[in-house]
Amino acid sequence: MVWDAFIAVYLFLAGLGAGVFVLGALTNWAKTPAPRMKRIAFVIAPVAVAVGTLVLVVDAKAGFANPLRFFLLVSNLNSVMAWGVIILSVFLAVSVVDLALLLVRKKTPKALDVVGMVLAVCVAAYTGVLLGDAGLAFPLWNMAILPLLFVVSAASTGIAAVLLVTYLAAPGEVEALPFLPKAGLVLPVLELVLVAVLLAVTAGAPGSAAAAGATSVANLVSGAYAVPFWLGFVVVGLVLPFALELARHRGAGASKAAAVVGAAAPAAGPDGSAAAAAAGSGKALALVGEAGVLVGGFMLRYLVIMAALAVVFA
Amino acid sequence: MNEKKLGMLIDLSLCIGCNACTVACKRENDVPLGAFNTWIESFDVERPDGRIARANVPKQCNHCADAPCVKVCPTGASYRAEDGTVQIDQDRCIGCKYCMAACPYQVRYQLESGEVQKCTFCHHRTSAGLLPACVGTCVGYARTFGDLNDPESDISKRLAEANGGDVLYEDLGLNPSLYYIGLKETEAMPVASAIHRGGNVMKPYEG
Repeated sequence: MVWDAFIAVYLFLAGLGAGVFVLGALTNWAKTPAPRMKRIAFVIAPVAVAVGTLVLVVDAKAGFANPLRFFLLVSNLNSVMAWGVIILSVFLAVSVVDLALLLVRKKTPKALDVVGMVLAVCVAAYTGVLLGDAGLAFPLWNMAILPLLFVVSAASTGIAAVLLVTYLAAPGEVEALPFLPKAGLVLPVLELVLVAVLLAVTAGAPGSAAAAGATSVANLVSGAYAVPFWLGFVVVGLVLPFALELARHRGAGASKAAAVVGAAAPAAGPDGSAAAAAAGSGKALALVGEAGVLVGGFMLRYLVIMAALAVVFA
Repeated sequence: MNEKKLGMLIDLSLCIGCNACTVACKRENDVPLGAFNTWIESFDVERPDGRIARANVPKQCNHCADAPCVKVCPTGASYRAEDGTVQIDQDRCIGCKYCMAACPYQVRYQLESGEVQKCTFCHHRTSAGLLPACVGTCVGYARTFGDLNDPESDISKRLAEANGGDVLYEDLGLNPSLYYIGLKETEAMPVASAIHRGGNVMKPYEG
């Protein structure tokens, strides 16, 4: 184990910030206006990515003690990390400028939003590529799968973070983007499939990587990291939010029917308060679901780092 | 005249696991407590004839020609020197540990001050015409050091006699400059004990 929870925090926050930004920019095309949701997203995005980057800077102990060395970070453009530094810097600049424009002028240039979205996808993918380029030493860090997996997880955690705050601060806007409930059903399934593929490919790693690959997978599925993997990542991070989203879908259908019934019988007073109570518990469950996605998103990065075994140690 | 490519050859049949190299290296290179630039992995193996034998496999930086540590280092602190060795310019190192993560041999470690360190093939000695400390001190002449690109060097001659020798994790395609004689033979025998490193159990025996 070379890296630890610090790097997991960074990978999580960078992915989350990227996902958040994309969602914020997508509110430009919302069915109903969602100005507060956009503001929430455009504040969270640069803050999350900046805090994540700060964690990296502190973790880079020799650079932290000699800050001038950070200027050398783009010396070797064969290094994925040098490109990551460039991508992160440009994304931070764009997202901060976009936020400033939003706060000062109340609207942002669509072109800048689109540039930011493209950079955000690069940031999210980069967190996977970073590990992938060390995949020769740690077979779990698969270059073909991790970037995609981390992009999917970035989308999930980005949506969860924005919805969590929107539910609390601007509940009237949570339904402005009609594709979000669908994303809440599709993304966890996609993520589960990608993790399954990652584990299968790693378990079948060839040659010198075979033992380390198999042991890394065993660590997750049945070994030292089995409880956080199954409980923290699979149940809390994927199954629970998926189930709650599914229940809400069914509930939404049922409440539409109830509204029709209520309109037909306007005298039904107690039904109205019951509906309000149902809406309240629905909000609480939604918050639980979004929090679960965030827990799962962090667990994914943490486990991918911690359970990975180097070729030599197996 | 070819470019220089310094390399090392370790004949496992001559290594008695005395750790003189480990000690000489620690003294020569001020290696911190708990870290090693070179070490010996000692364990029992079951020979084809059924008898148990002691295997001693010295390990250290392989100075790969296609070194992943050099590729991933964002600041250029890790670099390939003119003599073909992989070196670290610690004045450029920020301690991001990407090189440590990328090395399949996991030979790098972080100093208290944050910079990363590893075996240099005793660059400060070899550039003055001396042998690396581990080679000079080896009691059984198990270690040979020299220019792999010079067919007249001791190491090239010994490698030729040994049909090219073996390298660790050849299938990873990193072209290491650390060669062994008898490595494949050793790896082919079942391990029959814990693996020790410097007297401590590195990997317990699970039967």
